[in-house]
Amino acid sequence: MARIGVFICWCGANIAEMVDAAAVAEYAGQLPGVVVSKDYRYMCSDPGQRIMTDSIQEDNLTGVVVASCSPRMHEATFRKTAAIVGLNPYTLEMANIREHCSWAHTDRGQATEKAKDLVRMMVEKVRRNQPLEPVRVPVTQRVMVIGAGIAGIQAALDVAAAGHEVVLVEREPSVGGHMAQLDETFPTLDCSQCILTPRMVDIMQSDKIKLYTYAEIDEVGGYIGNFEVKVRKKARSVDIDKCTGCGDCYNYCLSRNKISIPVIVSVADRLDADMKKTLDEILDPAAGRRGVLLGVLQDVQDAYNYLPADALRYVSEKLNIPFSRIYGVARFYNAFTLEPRGEHIIRVCQGTACHLKGASLLVDALGRELGIRDGETTKDMQFTFERVNCLGACAMSPVVTIDDQYHGQMTTAKLLKALEGIESADASRPEMEAAG
Amino acid sequence: MTTLTRLDTVEAFGELREFLRLRQDPRQTVISVCGFTGCKVNGSDAVAEALKEEVRKQGRDDVPVKVTGCHGFCEKGPLVVILPQGIFYQKVGLKDVEAIVEKTVIGGEIIPSLLYTDPRTKEQYKLESEVPFYAKQERVVCRHSGKIDAARIEDYIAVGGYSSMVKVLTEMAPEEVIDEMKRSGLRGRGGAGFPTGKKWEFCRMAEGDEKFIVCNGDEGDPGAFMDGSIMDGHPHAVLEGMLIGAYAIGATHGYLYVRTEYPLAIRSLTRALEQAHDYGLLGENILGTGFSFDLELTRGAGAFVCGEETALMASIEGNIGSPRQRPPFPAVSGLWGKPTNINNVETWANVPVIIDRGAEWFASIGTEGSKGTKVFSLVGKVNNTGLVEVPMGMTLREIVYDIGGGIQKGRKLKAVQTGGPSGGCIPESLMDLRVDFDELVKAGGMMGSGGLIVMDERTCMVDVARYFLEFLTDESCGKCNPCREGVQQMHNILERICAGEGKDDDIDILLELAEYVKDSSLCALGGTAPNPVLSTIKHFRDEYEAHIRDHKCPGGVCKALIQYGINADACKGCERCAKECPQDAITGEKKQPHTLDREKCIKCGVCFETCPFDAVYTE
Repeated sequence: MARIGVFICWCGANIAEMVDAAAVAEYAGQLPGVVVSKDYRYMCSDPGQRIMTDSIQEDNLTGVVVASCSPRMHEATFRKTAAIVGLNPYTLEMANIREHCSWAHTDRGQATEKAKDLVRMMVEKVRRNQPLEPVRVPVTQRVMVIGAGIAGIQAALDVAAAGHEVVLVEREPSVGGHMAQLDETFPTLDCSQCILTPRMVDIMQSDKIKLYTYAEIDEVGGYIGNFEVKVRKKARSVDIDKCTGCGDCYNYCLSRNKISIPVIVSVADRLDADMKKTLDEILDPAAGRRGVLLGVLQDVQDAYNYLPADALRYVSEKLNIPFSRIYGVARFYNAFTLEPRGEHIIRVCQGTACHLKGASLLVDALGRELGIRDGETTKDMQFTFERVNCLGACAMSPVVTIDDQYHGQMTTAKLLKALEGIESADASRPEMEAAG
Repeated sequence: MTTLTRLDTVEAFGELREFLRLRQDPRQTVISVCGFTGCKVNGSDAVAEALKEEVRKQGRDDVPVKVTGCHGFCEKGPLVVILPQGIFYQKVGLKDVEAIVEKTVIGGEIIPSLLYTDPRTKEQYKLESEVPFYAKQERVVCRHSGKIDAARIEDYIAVGGYSSMVKVLTEMAPEEVIDEMKRSGLRGRGGAGFPTGKKWEFCRMAEGDEKFIVCNGDEGDPGAFMDGSIMDGHPHAVLEGMLIGAYAIGATHGYLYVRTEYPLAIRSLTRALEQAHDYGLLGENILGTGFSFDLELTRGAGAFVCGEETALMASIEGNIGSPRQRPPFPAVSGLWGKPTNINNVETWANVPVIIDRGAEWFASIGTEGSKGTKVFSLVGKVNNTGLVEVPMGMTLREIVYDIGGGIQKGRKLKAVQTGGPSGGCIPESLMDLRVDFDELVKAGGMMGSGGLIVMDERTCMVDVARYFLEFLTDESCGKCNPCREGVQQMHNILERICAGEGKDDDIDILLELAEYVKDSSLCALGGTAPNPVLSTIKHFRDEYEAHIRDHKCPGGVCKALIQYGINADACKGCERCAKECPQDAITGEKKQPHTLDREKCIKCGVCFETCPFDAVYTE
């Protein structure tokens, strides 16, 4: 019959602030197999450890759960202490109620419940733990890295630099992975080839690294320290030692085009007829000309009030510009929006003159009145409000445009009245355009 | 009305010009209505329509009503000028239309109530040229302001438009044109002030099977609208300048890059392009001279960084507008890798008049290092806001006080901000500074594109710096680290200071960060981004210290550091503020001084802006 002791640590305020340690201790005391359950300010301190060792001896414990920090932190501490007083160290487990619980949550009630769950799971584990004795087995000092993308390459180089042999396996004919397909990397916009290519050369030059490209893992057996892995090298019918990478065989291969033609699903097939017609009218005159993308996107936005995703896909197909580039352009420029906008668009000019004369008060007032932040649209799709770069009507500052009508020397009171005006006009005569 | 036929020869153009010139009677009465944004906001469109209707009704439909480009005095719009005398009516409403036609146009009388009265001297002025706002200006780029209808190419040709182009095409070699520009001393009006002639020469000498020229109309500086008004009111001058430039450089194709926030400028330029095409002044074999040049318009899409030339070119090419390292300069490798010359709107608009009147004449205006005039948008807390054109070298004091009529509500001048987010704040003590490219830089400012933003004592300089950095964090393209991260960090510190949470060493950290960002950013956006911070710390360090140490905002702007209150002596109990207050925080009996409950107050500022007696104060 298991006799388990549970010790809950406060870790000062680290745990106690978000987890009710006493409540967890009380709960753990009720669990099957638990004979003693205590909480203490710092379990890793000398007095804390003494509480545990005293209890192991006095209560004849067969297993221990310490609910505190991550096992990476103190598992070794507690196991060593337990072993000193005669408990098999492998019957001691830690429940991580700090990194996995108190530090990660903001609701004390829910965090306490979660801590209880974590403790209960560990109690169940300890109930099933068997006393273990460490043994020594020989280990092959060789590492396999699977996948030779930038991460795999760097891992292989690091391990090799530490003096171990590395087997690097890559499924594709060439190493490099996604990194080889990128131009620049986030967030520093460094040239990705400049990062990748020297490392590609390094793995070839290292005598510690054995590279298998165009190979896949069939089977992984064994255990930590002594894995047995079956690697299947795919047939490539090329003598790599002689190959210069000229690419002629690739170009002349008779079966290449038969197998590699991807099935392209055109967005045109799912566009409704109206949208297709509108977009064709915009795109046809632009086809084949340089520098038309901005203008095309502006026309699309004029037509739809925003840039619908399918419209952008269609633009991409028709102009033969990658979708990613179009998306990037659409996100970069303030004038474009990917979300549908409200019926009425209110813009508050953010020019210097307008700022000096109180534009920020107008922004605050709109936020209060409409209950949205700038750039957002009201739920009923009536109003969108945007802050906009200088409209060049500085002499009339502060300036607000409502549906492209300029309103100068704007005040909070005037603005709210204008809003009311639009709402009542919409209510009485929905077909009438909002007055300027 | 001439029929729009393509002109195939230089002679045909000359005949058309003569015809148009002779048809113009200098004694003819013309009603000129300003049609630019400022006046439009105040209803000039309706006034112009009503005037057209009224002249017809009163049987004088021989009197043309012209909607013209910006007259400049936006503060007093809508503006109506009766030519040829130049009678200047301001703040004209629909109710005045009948009287203008009946009394002034037909009767030749002046309507005193519509004249401009100087608020300081109470003197009334009858003619546009006498009004102090105009009297001190010297109009070169805007010389046709208010006189020609920007929508009619014929008006422009009649006053000598496109004649400079003809002169260049028929009498001058490209090298001579470049030489003329160099001798004129014209420097780029976009801000940096690079000599235009030299720039053209670089591009002319660059190797390339195809060359481009670009007009940078991406006037992104907040508080500047000169280029917008030039494109709207003088589109053909820009086109003609580009044609001359294209000939000198050897370009066959050009782009006008105009920011999308300027719908009027886009409309005006689009119309001008069509007209120039129809007359054969653009396109293949212009006027039979063998010179071909075509131009198209690209709308920007709301990205400040696209004012930077390499970002602008990326944008025209249809890419994300992020700048790149220079060299290679655009003159060597620009649009699609071809030699490209980029000039600002105002620079291009200066070109025809230099060719027309000669480099020596142009060089006689201005200072030693900066020739010609500069158009400024004079805005902010100044009485006469609007568009002004003055010779280089005029002092800031003359611009702010003589032309601008001093500070609103008789308050004290604190600083003038020049050069947009890249520029700096010039304090009151330096108002006798002569405005040209070099002097402004010495004072920690920058010419920039020409926004002059006047700040009074109720402006918080820390808030101004915070405002510009907020703008720049939004507009940083994110390509290089110093600008993306550094400007953001500086902005965070300024936000904190404005929220009353500044720390003692914040000023030092700002200065240190500023140096890093300045030295290591990729393009001018980042390189000049710290300027608003540096110049405000330099001249207004005490305001920073007041925020950090005393938790006070001397300008009464930073919300977290101010409280609103009502001055019982000034309050007349009109109840207007109480009615507008969204929190019902203001109470009081009618005609008795009101009180403001600070517990309820959310500092929205409505009472402050509503009070007609200046009784609401901040502390």
